[in-house]
Amino acid sequence: MRIWMTGLAILLFVGGALFFALGPQRTTSITLTFHAKMGDHPLVFDEFVYENPGGRGTFRVRDFRLYLSNLTLSQDGALFAEPDSYHLLRFDNPETTNSIRLNDIPLGSIENVRFMIGVDPEANGSIQPRGDLDPNSQMAWNWEVGYKFVVMEGTLRIGEEVSPLVYHVGFSDNAREVDIQLPPDIAVEGDVDLHMNVDVAKLFDGPTQVDLRKLSSVKFNRDDAAMLADNYAVMITPSFK
Amino acid sequence: MLRVFLTAAVAVVIAATAWVFWDRARGPTATPIAGFSAPFVFGRFAVPPDNPLTQEAFALGRHLFYDPSLSGNNQVSCATCHMQALAFTDGLAKSPALSGGELEFSSMSLINLLWGQERFFWDGRATSLEAQALMPIQHPDEMDQDLDALITELQASRDYRRMFRKAYGEVSAENVARALSTFMRMLISSDSKYDRFLRGEVRLTAQEEHGRKLFMAHPDTKVSLRGGNCIDCHSQFLTSGFRDALDGFSNNGLDSDDDLPDGLMAVTGNPAHKGFFKVPTLRNIAVTAPYMHDGRFETLEEVMDHYNDGIVVSDTLSPLILEADNAPEAGQGTVGLRMTPDEVQSIIAFLNTLTDEGFLTNTQFSNPFEGDG
Ligand code: HEC
Ligand code: HEC
Repeated sequence: MRIWMTGLAILLFVGGALFFALGPQRTTSITLTFHAKMGDHPLVFDEFVYENPGGRGTFRVRDFRLYLSNLTLSQDGALFAEPDSYHLLRFDNPETTNSIRLNDIPLGSIENVRFMIGVDPEANGSIQPRGDLDPNSQMAWNWEVGYKFVVMEGTLRIGEEVSPLVYHVGFSDNAREVDIQLPPDIAVEGDVDLHMNVDVAKLFDGPTQVDLRKLSSVKFNRDDAAMLADNYAVMITPSFK
Repeated sequence: MLRVFLTAAVAVVIAATAWVFWDRARGPTATPIAGFSAPFVFGRFAVPPDNPLTQEAFALGRHLFYDPSLSGNNQVSCATCHMQALAFTDGLAKSPALSGGELEFSSMSLINLLWGQERFFWDGRATSLEAQALMPIQHPDEMDQDLDALITELQASRDYRRMFRKAYGEVSAENVARALSTFMRMLISSDSKYDRFLRGEVRLTAQEEHGRKLFMAHPDTKVSLRGGNCIDCHSQFLTSGFRDALDGFSNNGLDSDDDLPDGLMAVTGNPAHKGFFKVPTLRNIAVTAPYMHDGRFETLEEVMDHYNDGIVVSDTLSPLILEADNAPEAGQGTVGLRMTPDEVQSIIAFLNTLTDEGFLTNTQFSNPFEGDG
């Protein structure tokens, strides 16, 4: 009897030691905070304070939001892909920010963050709710196309004249990858705090400059949508302190 | 022999008394409502953890909903302004107020409240059904009842004492609110022709299908896409407003800046919300006339005339409405969708597929004080 107990104790001890030695190493947590900006300044909603980048007039932003999906973190070729990774980023809060936090990622540290602005074709063609994808939400669209990826709505004012601005960009082709390399010293005790700017100005002032008066809405025209997608592809950039 | 009989009788009486006491003393014995059916396209919903859906709460809530003794003068029940045959509206532009005149707003249908916005009333001032339920009871122009008096009244009724005990334990105002909420959460309409179409059981007529497509499309003259843009605010399956944050509130162009009511701004204090109202569900819309928060439109034709060329511009008008136009050339004085009469009729035909006869006549939702309740 005694001998059995001793044997069991030894076994448990050795097993436990092995488990801790060989088992998953440290895990890492990450907080991604997105700051909505217009140029260098925090985005302001509902006020005519922005110049039309490609022409006359000032505009206000009533709504700005986007889908971020397929978030992947990696270190040295080891990959962690967030399951059901569909996040709606909206900024209608006093800080105009939006955060995503992932805990206990089975990576020792994080060197690289990748995601998509938009939704992958598979999820984009489905009416199954997943993550923040919701077919009864404002981001649901004409079902032959899928979800809206990036939405900006507002008003343009030229003199006394006001006209609506409606930019709804979707179509599976228009999802754009963002790939961010982190500096080596960014983790503090297994916790990464990554800040990123989402610059709405880039939507109209990226590779192509847009006159909001001439192109006051983009919805189902594929060329216009692809042009705005190339603009928003460079909209999200890291801000390392 | 007699002795044996007497002993047995005493034992039975003791046992019965004990059971009665035990039954009263023990907690509620509520049975969870198991797996009620709702189409997956309705999406997720949440029930407050402190008010699970149970059969006993539903039965109690149904009694309370139809009971005029909930009002100060014992003449008005919730059902006075929320009648099942009219999808729980009252068929009036504005319901009469107890003090004479009429209420500020038109009664709202009570359908699929588990989904859609998590704020209630036209201006969204109630943030849960539980918070909402006691408001009409106390409102001086609706049911004008003092809550303490109501609880005393309910406690005097043996039937209510029993129903409360089974559902929750004690008779309290909180539990009145919970039971009413449970009843209203179960008012699920999911067997309209549109639902059966979504399940692949029936086909829509060509006109209904045309209307459905128009309902679901924001027009884009640049690619010759015609649309009624309803989906910009009325979600495609639920047809209600959106659930997230305040997405389910909007200004659909009823009034000019000069006489725009506060709407959601009264609740949030944000001037960008002036004139915003709760986007209502369109399920059973054919039976809930008159329409809008003040009941200004008598028919669906009038509603469509509004969206087609009767939009009144104001500062907070939805840009999606202002921008949605099916005619390529600039408008002449009117703002709206500018669809053809055929297209307008098609949308109305589609709206008619949202009527769910089974819901309007479901005996589980009817007055329990009448018939076999
Ligand atoms: C005198 C008529 C009247 C009575 C009685 C009445 N209601 Fe209402 N109900 C209304 C009106 C009018 C509105 C819209 C009011 C507003 O927005 O301010 C409304 C709105 C509601 C809503 C909001 C629905 C939504 O989608 O936001 C709910 C829920 C509701 N009532 C439940 C009840 C319950 C429960 C009772 C009984 C305790 C009740 N009502 C009694 C007239 C009435
Ligand atoms: C910009 C958002 C928006 C769009 C687009 C929109 N609606 Fe609405 N709808 C609303 C709002 C908000 C209300 C409630 C307005 C009020 O009473 O103040 C409403 C009310 C209604 C009502 C009355 C409901 C009731 O219970 O009284 C009907 C019917 C309706 N809409 C149908 C449609 C149809 C059909 C379309 C497309 C042609 C459409 N709506 C497009 C926002 C919208």
